[in-house]
Amino acid sequence: MILFRRVVIFTMNSVCFQRNFAAALSPLVPVKLPSRMEAHLWYVVPDEVKSSFLLSNYLDILSPCEKENVSRMRGEQLQKAALLARVLVRTTIARYQINGQVNPRSLKFKKNIHGKPELEWDDDQCQCASRLQFNISHTSSLILCGVTVDSPIGVDLEEKQRKLKNNILAFARRYFTPHEVKFLSSISDPVVQHQHFVKLWTLKESYVKALGRGFSGLPFRMFTIQFRTTENGDSCPSGETNNEGEIIVKSLEDVNSFSSNWQFALLELAGSHYAAICMEKDEAVEGEVPTPMKLTVRKTIPYVRDELISGPDAAVISGLT
Amino acid sequence: MASVSAASVAFRALSKPPLKSNETSRLKIVSLGWRKNGFPSLRSSRLHVSCAAKPETVDKVCEIVRKQLALPAEADLTPESKFSAIGADSLDTVEIVMALEEEFGISVEEESSQNITTVQEAADLIEKLVQKKPEA
Repeated sequence: MILFRRVVIFTMNSVCFQRNFAAALSPLVPVKLPSRMEAHLWYVVPDEVKSSFLLSNYLDILSPCEKENVSRMRGEQLQKAALLARVLVRTTIARYQINGQVNPRSLKFKKNIHGKPELEWDDDQCQCASRLQFNISHTSSLILCGVTVDSPIGVDLEEKQRKLKNNILAFARRYFTPHEVKFLSSISDPVVQHQHFVKLWTLKESYVKALGRGFSGLPFRMFTIQFRTTENGDSCPSGETNNEGEIIVKSLEDVNSFSSNWQFALLELAGSHYAAICMEKDEAVEGEVPTPMKLTVRKTIPYVRDELISGPDAAVISGLT
Repeated sequence: MASVSAASVAFRALSKPPLKSNETSRLKIVSLGWRKNGFPSLRSSRLHVSCAAKPETVDKVCEIVRKQLALPAEADLTPESKFSAIGADSLDTVEIVMALEEEFGISVEEESSQNITTVQEAADLIEKLVQKKPEA
């Protein structure tokens, strides 16, 4: 409620702010489109965005409908996160400068039949525009946007320390597959078991989001996520945080089929979150090795600073062999 | 299930064009359920078809939601509260559904979870499923 009142006041003064906007803030740095099988990940840490001047300018980027949605959130922190999520999506896509300069305000969005947000372009905009795909996820402390060209993408974020109110195995028995329950049950260390639960949850979410179907469109017990180590091919729990090998998904609707056209990556982001990325695999040309997934991670405060991230702040756990 | 909301309140403040600096603000913030004393008139003006949930069911759902989201005691929670607006993410919603299943002895299809976006919707679905249960 407090932010909302402040936000109203800033809207009144935004006419003055607009003039100083370009002078006080840096322009968005344009970026080349990701290549095939590459995903660009952009993230914002809400706690690092403190300036009310900046937040009021961010609000101006949103559509009236988005502003209304932000205002419906209960409480300052939730409003701020909702605002930053929309700002991250709009400014990120604008950086790719489809058809020349793109104003983040001018982007239009629609939803698919399951409610997945997508970009909407005018008929006269060129074909390449419609190939840009994105997906976002956020927790109270981090907001992530993934961008690809051509490939549907799903991203999911969860705090590593996220606690369940329910017992993990009881929850898994209710919502996950028997294989996944068996996998979690076999982990004796409760800390490691909890970590693997969160990893499984984010991977499953990223899959249904990549498919554009969401949790209700594809119940989690209809498909299994497995970690396959390169040596023996069987899934096994590992307490290590270094590369656990390949992540695969198997549909339970058709036990003989592999959903082999989807590729996953699991990262530890900013030391505090697990981030799961799911995208469609490159169609392998006969005889050629398919292109492996590549990730480029950037931390941003739009109009202020962008930072390419590598090392411990974007540590790959699995999937990019 | 048809329900008519007699009061349709929008946060119009943000969708108006920015005011010039010499205009005073005539923007009035009207909120649903934000104030501590609540809006009993708004609640009673919402028309329901007779199969809507009993108040006890609604109260129980509120209790479960409060617990799941660790809402502070002063936080307002009304039947119309949208889970997403009070900070529930997909994992919270799934845990809430699980708690409701245990509390009421029902089974909720995942496909229905997209229809549970408010306390009222959860309570209505619970009543429907409870009524469908075979006699003990």
